[in-house]
Amino acid sequence: MSLLLRTSRDKAGLATAKLIGILILLGALIFTIIPLLFMITASVMPSKDILKMPYRWIPRGLYWQNFFKAIAGNDGRYMFFRNISNSIFISGAVTVTTVLLSAITGYGLAKFRFRGRNIVFLAIMATMMIPFEAIMIPLYLVATKLHLQNSYGGLILPFLVNAFGVFMMRQFLITFPDEFLDATRIDGAGEIRIFVDVVLPNSKPVIATLAILTFRSQWDNLLWPLLVAQSEKMKTIPLYIVKFAAEKYTDEGAMMAVAFLASIPMLVLFFTMSKYFVSGASVYASRKG
Amino acid sequence: MRKKYSGIEKKLSRWGWYFVTPSLLFFVLFSFYPILNAGYTSLFRKKILSLKAPDFLGFDNYKYLLSSTDFWNSIRATFVFTIGTFIPLVISSLLLAVLIMNLRKGKKFLQLAYYSPAVLSSVVASVIWMTIFDPRGIANQWLNIIMRTPGIDHLWLSNSFMVQFSTILVYFWKYIGYFVVIFIAGLASIPSSLYEAARIDGAVPRQIFWRITLPLLKPTVLLVSIMSMLQCLKTFSTQYLFVQSGSPQAPINVITLNIYNTGIRDHLIGRASAMSILLFVIMLFFTWLQFKGSKADEVSY
Repeated sequence: MSLLLRTSRDKAGLATAKLIGILILLGALIFTIIPLLFMITASVMPSKDILKMPYRWIPRGLYWQNFFKAIAGNDGRYMFFRNISNSIFISGAVTVTTVLLSAITGYGLAKFRFRGRNIVFLAIMATMMIPFEAIMIPLYLVATKLHLQNSYGGLILPFLVNAFGVFMMRQFLITFPDEFLDATRIDGAGEIRIFVDVVLPNSKPVIATLAILTFRSQWDNLLWPLLVAQSEKMKTIPLYIVKFAAEKYTDEGAMMAVAFLASIPMLVLFFTMSKYFVSGASVYASRKG
Repeated sequence: MRKKYSGIEKKLSRWGWYFVTPSLLFFVLFSFYPILNAGYTSLFRKKILSLKAPDFLGFDNYKYLLSSTDFWNSIRATFVFTIGTFIPLVISSLLLAVLIMNLRKGKKFLQLAYYSPAVLSSVVASVIWMTIFDPRGIANQWLNIIMRTPGIDHLWLSNSFMVQFSTILVYFWKYIGYFVVIFIAGLASIPSSLYEAARIDGAVPRQIFWRITLPLLKPTVLLVSIMSMLQCLKTFSTQYLFVQSGSPQAPINVITLNIYNTGIRDHLIGRASAMSILLFVIMLFFTWLQFKGSKADEVSY
């Protein structure tokens, strides 16, 4: 009897716990989604309506002028297109070099025995502890000395490869079957051929994941372009937004339009390749350090 | 026969070096050299654009910083931001991940929805929240409805306490989904046989969480907290944008912002380098501390 009573009470407790859980999840959903909805709806509203109380979540009409102001910029030079192209180009170039160099290095560390391999691996991992913010000034001085300011070379060079990419590729390639490589070797293929024809094609998912991670973090880079890109033509999209926000702070509609427009490339990438955004996370969750 | 085998080994070990050398060179030039250079420069009085040879100061830059209220304020701002952000971030993303794992439907949708702010750049995130925090914006409207204080401006971007809270909120919003997704990957890697065994033994959900999930998830929790802590220690974009748009600088003058202003705006390269080295040491110390704290009881299964 007492046993029966306890289980029924436990059941009631479980149901309330479940309800609370669902309420928490819904609350978090509202918290994450509302600012995004706000950005999208406010981008088509005139500024005076955005700050009216209560906020209208369904705009009365489409106020396109915000978008014209967003792309024309404060100076009317339409630098938006140039700057967003710069961001796409720089992030794309960094992604290509990072993926290639990470794959090459990760392959070398995972599949070849050589003296000093562990030291090389540890040295590369140690660079994860050096924050870019702590080395930006020496890098800036070097970039100035080599006249790399206001150049794509200067914007790309410090990010050719990173320790995390090497780590990710090495972890993946360690599980790559040796017999597969040896068989190709016996067939007479050179080492570079093996890498290009066997290793790379069989690493597609991890390469896609690393590519997305790299593109996303480079797209978000503000600090280095802030130092190196001084001319309007060389600026990236975060710098465009900073300038726009500092000068047009009172025009909320235009600000939300520029924020929305600047996010479109990433949003498109997210909706088409969401699988690889999420799979990047499992790298951190694997316990095989 | 033996000779030929060792020949192949030798050839392969040479190829190993060919494959790692390009990246190794890169890391020497773009990570190790600059941090050593920052350490060296921090011992001098050096200005950009100055033709005068830099004066050797020894540790005077460090002495100056450690007795400067401005630098201690930066340390305070950085720590308030870091502790105020990464602890709530780790706890709430873990909670959300566990709750999502218990759902039967909608797991994928919720993960993606929570993740979506992480897709935007920090600058966009800051601009959105700046508009929400506008004196007449929805942050004030909603808070006034909840607190029944009509017409009050809570000064989200100008009060020294509120502006710190606002930067924390922006960061929390942007990264919560990112960590939820990492925790879900960690939770999914725990063998379900363990849960079944516990349920057969009559364990209730609370016991299962504290006795099974949390101990087994510890490596992920450790990694996530180190990662989020390091990210918070070097936060820059939100604070920079807020200050650019007119927020007071002192409450949110984090170390990175101070390095930027000292080195790039004021051209004091030696002093900025000393700050960089101190930031590096702080990050090393706290990573070591977290590792040490977690080594105490390791799990295996």
